[in-house]
Amino acid sequence: MTSAFLRVIDVTKRYGRHVAVEDVRLEVGHGESVVVVGPSGCGKTTLLRLIAGLERPEAGEIRFGDRVVARAGRTLVPPHERGLGFVFQDLALWPHLTVREHLDFVTRAAAMPTVERTERAREILALVRIDALAVRHPHELSGGEQQRLALARALVARPRLLLLDEPFSSLDRELRVALREEVARLQRALRLTSIYVTHDRDDAQVLGDRVVEMHQGRVIVDRRMAREDGRAPF
Amino acid sequence: MWGLRSSRTLAVTGALAAFTLLCVLPLAYMLAQAGTAAATHAVLLLDARQRTLLLNTAALGGGTALLATLIGAPLGFVLARVPLRFKPVWRVALAAPLLLPPYVIALAWVYLGGSAGLVAAATGRDLLSGWTYSLPGAVVVLSLVFYPLSMLTTEVALRRIEPRIEEAAFVVAPPGRVLRRITLPLAAPAVGAAALVIFVLAVSEFGVPGLLRVRVFTTEVFTAFAALYDFSRATILTLPLLGLSIVVAAVAALLVGERLLVTRRGATGARPVAFEGWTRRATGAAWCVLAVALVAPLAVLTREAMGVPSVTAIVKGSGEAIRSSLTLAAAGATVASGVAVWIGYARARARRRVGVCADVLLVVLFAVPSTVVGVGLIGVWNRAGVFGRVYGTDGMLLLAYLARFLPVAALALAAGMRYVPASHEEAAAVGGAGWWSTMIHVVLPQVKLALLAAWVVVFILAFGELGASILVAPPGESTLPIRIYTIIANAPAAEVAALALLQTAVVLAPLSLLALGIAIRRPE
Repeated sequence: MTSAFLRVIDVTKRYGRHVAVEDVRLEVGHGESVVVVGPSGCGKTTLLRLIAGLERPEAGEIRFGDRVVARAGRTLVPPHERGLGFVFQDLALWPHLTVREHLDFVTRAAAMPTVERTERAREILALVRIDALAVRHPHELSGGEQQRLALARALVARPRLLLLDEPFSSLDRELRVALREEVARLQRALRLTSIYVTHDRDDAQVLGDRVVEMHQGRVIVDRRMAREDGRAPF
Repeated sequence: MWGLRSSRTLAVTGALAAFTLLCVLPLAYMLAQAGTAAATHAVLLLDARQRTLLLNTAALGGGTALLATLIGAPLGFVLARVPLRFKPVWRVALAAPLLLPPYVIALAWVYLGGSAGLVAAATGRDLLSGWTYSLPGAVVVLSLVFYPLSMLTTEVALRRIEPRIEEAAFVVAPPGRVLRRITLPLAAPAVGAAALVIFVLAVSEFGVPGLLRVRVFTTEVFTAFAALYDFSRATILTLPLLGLSIVVAAVAALLVGERLLVTRRGATGARPVAFEGWTRRATGAAWCVLAVALVAPLAVLTREAMGVPSVTAIVKGSGEAIRSSLTLAAAGATVASGVAVWIGYARARARRRVGVCADVLLVVLFAVPSTVVGVGLIGVWNRAGVFGRVYGTDGMLLLAYLARFLPVAALALAAGMRYVPASHEEAAAVGGAGWWSTMIHVVLPQVKLALLAAWVVVFILAFGELGASILVAPPGESTLPIRIYTIIANAPAAEVAALALLQTAVVLAPLSLLALGIAIRRPE
C-alpha cells in the first residue's frame, strides 16, 4: 500500500435538507487512480468538489498528505493552492481565450518561468494532440478537441491530483472510448494520482486501480480492480 | 399556428399602430426636420456657441458614464458574487437613486454645497458653490443617480456566466486573477453597453444641468422654446443631441444583442464561493455609496424642509399639481402597460433579426432626450384638426409620458414574455383554445409580475418626468415636478425641499415596502 496522498475523513455535505454526501471516508495513495461510480445524484460530483475546495464540508476533514485543507465549515487551503487539475463535466472552457491562452492562464497562475511556460504548453498540446490548434477559440474546436483542451488545461501545471468529473459523458460512444484510452495512456505516462467520477462501469475497467461505489451520499463499495492488461493496481 | 386572420393579428397590429403614433411619430417628425433644417441652418449648427454646447454635452455624458460605471460596476460585482446578508434589500436600496427624479438629488446638493448651503453656513465660508454649480458637479450628481444602471447590468451579466467557467479558473488561480482575466472580460460587453446607455441618459437630462446652470443642448432647447419662443431654433438645437443619442443607443443595443431581454435569472448551479472573504469590504463600500447617493441627499432635504411653517399648507397649495401628477402617471402607466404587453409579445415571438432591430428601435426611442420628445410632440400635435383638439389639454402630458416610457415597458414585457415558451401556446392551440383565451389563461398569468413591474417603472418615471412635460404642459396646468422646478427660484427653500421630499416619498414608499417584504421572505 502506498502512503495516503489524500484522506477524506467522515465528510458530510448538505444542501438545505438534502444530504449530498454523508460520512464519507476515502483514502487515495500516491499515483493511484480511483474511479468513483454510482447513479445520478448519489454524491459523486459533490465529493469531487469537496476535494477541490469548491464546496465546504459541514462535518469531517480533508487532508492532502499531512496538511488539513478543509474541515467542518472551513476552507483552510483555497482551491488554487491544492495543486489540482480538474476536468469538468461540461468542460468549462473559457470562451474568450484561445487554446494557447487557456494554458498560459494556468501556467502564469502557477508562476512558471516564461521559457518553461512556452515549452510546457508545446509539450502538453502535443501530448493531447491539438498542437496545431493553439490559436483557436473553444467554439472553433470539435467536441473531441474541446475535451482534449480541457485535459491539457488540467495537466499543464503538473498537478499533484487530477480530478475528472464525467468528462466524456456528452460524447458519442466511439469518441468516448478513444478519449478514455487516451486518458489511460496519459495516466500511465505521467504517473498521475487521479479521481475519476463516472456512471459508466466500463470506465472503471480501463481507468481505475480502484473502484469506489456511492449510493445516496455514502460509499457502499471500495475495492481494487483486477486489471485485464495484467498491470498491477499499484 | 395562429392564422393571419386570428385575433392575434388584431391585437398586435392595434398595439403597433398605437406605438407608432405615440412613440415613433414625434421622432420621425424631428428626423424630417433634420433634413430641411440642417441645410438651411448649417451656419447655426457650426458656430462657436454650438461647439461649446457640444463639448459640454459630450463631457457631461462621458464623465457621467465613466464615473457611474466606476461606482456601479463594482457594486454589481458585489451583488453577483460576494455573500452579503439581506442582499435583496441591498439591491433595492442601492437601486433606489435611479428611481428618484435627478433634479431632486441636484436640489439636495445645492442646499448642501450652494453659496447659502449647509456647508457655507457651518464654515462661514463659501467653499463649495463654485464646484456645485459646474460641469463636474453635474457629472457627480448624475453619476449618483445613474450608477444603479451599471450596477444592475453588471450583476445580470455576471450571473449569466456559467459558474463552472469561473470554478475552472479558481482551481488554478487566486480570486483576483480570476476576476481580472476570466470574469471581467466576459462581463465587459454588458458593462460597456450600460455605460453607453448612461451616456445617452446624461446628455438627455434637463433638470440637473438646468438647476446647476450648466449650459448643454437640453437647457438651450428649453431656453429657445420657453424663453425666446423660437420653435425653429429649438428644433435645430435638438438635432445634434438627437443624432448623438440615436448613434450611441443603437451601438449599446447592438453590443448587448439578445441579452437585452434577459432577467436576473441566469446560469444554473451554485455560485462560486471564492469571494467569501470580501464580504466586509463589500459591505463597507455599499454603505458608503448608499450614504452619499441616498441618505445624505434625503437628510439635507429633510433638514431644509423642517423650516416649513405648515406642511398641510404646502400640500394644499400644491394639491392640484400633486393630484394631477398622480392621476396622469397612473394613467400613463396603465396605457403604456396595456399597449406594451402586445408589443412585448410580438418582440418575444419575432425572428431573431427582426427582434434585434426591434430592440435597437426601442432603446433608441427611450434614449431620445426629453426636450427633443417635447419639441417633437408639439410639432406633431400643434395643428388644426383632431390633433389640435388634444393640444392644449392634459392629454399632452399623457402623450409625453407614453412617448418617453412606452419603449421601456415594452422591453420589460418582452423580457417577461420570452420566458413563456411558444410550446405553451401550441399546447393550448392543440387543445382547441383560441388566441385570446390562450393569452388570458396561459400567457398573461405567467407574465403578471413583469406586467406589474412595467406598470410600477412607468409610474415612477412618469411621476418624476420634467424635460418633456415642462414643454408640452398647457398653460395653467402643472405637475409636481414642473411646480417644484418653477418655484425653485422664488419660493422659500423649505417649501421647495418639502415638495421634493413629498415627491421622493411617493417613489420610495412602495419601494421600501417591497424591500421590507423581501427582507422578511428572503433574508439571505
